[in-house]
Amino acid sequence: MSDYVKMWEDLGMDLETHDALCQVLPTAFGDVYLSQENRPEGMGFWDFVVSEIHGIRPSELIEAQKNGQKVFGTFCVYVPDEVVIAANGIVTGLCGGSQFWVPGGEKVLPKNTCPLIKASVGARLDRTCPFFRIADIYVGENTCDGKKKAYEILAEDVPMHIMDVPQMKRPEDYDRWAHEIELFAGVVEEQTGNKVTPEKLAEAIKIVNNKRKALKRVYDARKAAKLPISGKDALLMMQIAFFDDPVRCAEMCNKLADELEQRIKDGVSVFPEGTKRIMVTGTPLAIPNWKLHHIIETSGAAVVCEEMCTGTRYFENLVDETQTTLEGQYKALADRYMKNNCACFTPNPGRIDDILRLAKEYNVDGIIDVNLKFCSIYDTEGFFVERALKEAGIPVLGIETDYTDSDAEQLKTRVEAFVEMLG
Amino acid sequence: MEEIKAKTKDINYYILFENYTHGLALEKLLKEEGLRARIAPTPRSIQGKLTCGMSLLVLEEDIEAVRECIDRHQAKYYSIVEMECQINPNRNVFC
Repeated sequence: MSDYVKMWEDLGMDLETHDALCQVLPTAFGDVYLSQENRPEGMGFWDFVVSEIHGIRPSELIEAQKNGQKVFGTFCVYVPDEVVIAANGIVTGLCGGSQFWVPGGEKVLPKNTCPLIKASVGARLDRTCPFFRIADIYVGENTCDGKKKAYEILAEDVPMHIMDVPQMKRPEDYDRWAHEIELFAGVVEEQTGNKVTPEKLAEAIKIVNNKRKALKRVYDARKAAKLPISGKDALLMMQIAFFDDPVRCAEMCNKLADELEQRIKDGVSVFPEGTKRIMVTGTPLAIPNWKLHHIIETSGAAVVCEEMCTGTRYFENLVDETQTTLEGQYKALADRYMKNNCACFTPNPGRIDDILRLAKEYNVDGIIDVNLKFCSIYDTEGFFVERALKEAGIPVLGIETDYTDSDAEQLKTRVEAFVEMLG
Repeated sequence: MEEIKAKTKDINYYILFENYTHGLALEKLLKEEGLRARIAPTPRSIQGKLTCGMSLLVLEEDIEAVRECIDRHQAKYYSIVEMECQINPNRNVFC
């Protein structure tokens, strides 16, 4: 059994400040998660991971590093995990979802930067998150202006590779992204000292596809009329998927999906009949950002789907497994990742199509379009999202929020009014 | 609302461990015996110098059976702490 305090010290963490987070997390988790009744047994795994959130996975990563493996920290669902896994590297998500880290980011970033970026930069520079200390290299991407510039600041403190995500979806942009993945493979090979071979990449593509299929099974269970799992629990599973070993993640998600499918057969639901079904769309909800889901699910509604990076964008669409050359595999990876409809693309009609399709698949009563404060691309795209939903006759509520608690009561009033309006 | 208020007056028990291996072993044992216990992050106020973050949360009505099971199997644990229920879904304080 490792001593976490010793590990945190060895990582050069600021223990005193970190302890402040250790104080609030168990209370918030209890209020949000342990207050729920009749949760699936399978959620015990994720409760355990949260209980040991800065201990158990970090110690696994450090052990792996001792055995020569390299850890790549990422911030975006556009970075292809497959390439890292093919070179025996490990990927860990790094997005910050807590207000705790925001002031640290504000020391170097403008106040009008989105909280996700501020939290991520703060977690690194204030030395209060083990994952940010452990990663050997960060992999950024230019999906927004705030991130681009923040990565330049981070690059003064940690090795950084930036992927140039195209901003349009013309045929030449697909080719450019395939080339960008090939360049990334070169960086990964250099970092790990291992070659990315077609055989290894094929294996990695299967591993990540299996993880996507497992996550999708859990999401599919949320399409049932009687909901076998809360939105909060599904969100937690999704948030931790960014940090866990991909094979174990698939195994645990499949186990949970088995239980949920049995619950559907048995007619077991965690919500009373008639509970309004809400889909949330917009910017990601990085761990431990549980605010909006908690507010929705204590306001007489249930969250049935997230059209977000911490949601359907992470697992929809599989990579073609039939390619046998690196060239073909990079192209297959590019094709799959380019199907993600991020607001950084112009134009981005695919996202509207996704939202309308998901609204039908999950049989939603209403949609909450949520944007993190100062995320101008998602906020602006909200114009098209809300117009399309109105045209389709789907009630929509637009919300802009951050990680603070100060707007919680106000949000609750608005969400309650919206749910009541759904009839 | 009334139900939630009543709940906050309930007594909960947190079983603490020196490490999560002991915690998971006891969780498995209790489950096998059909006893209710939920994995929970240990409230910082009772964690002391323990670095293990997980505890088992047991309701008042189940604690005697759980204690009996622990004794019978000589299961390893660090301590059992009684506290008023800390869980309040209406607090709206996040992290």
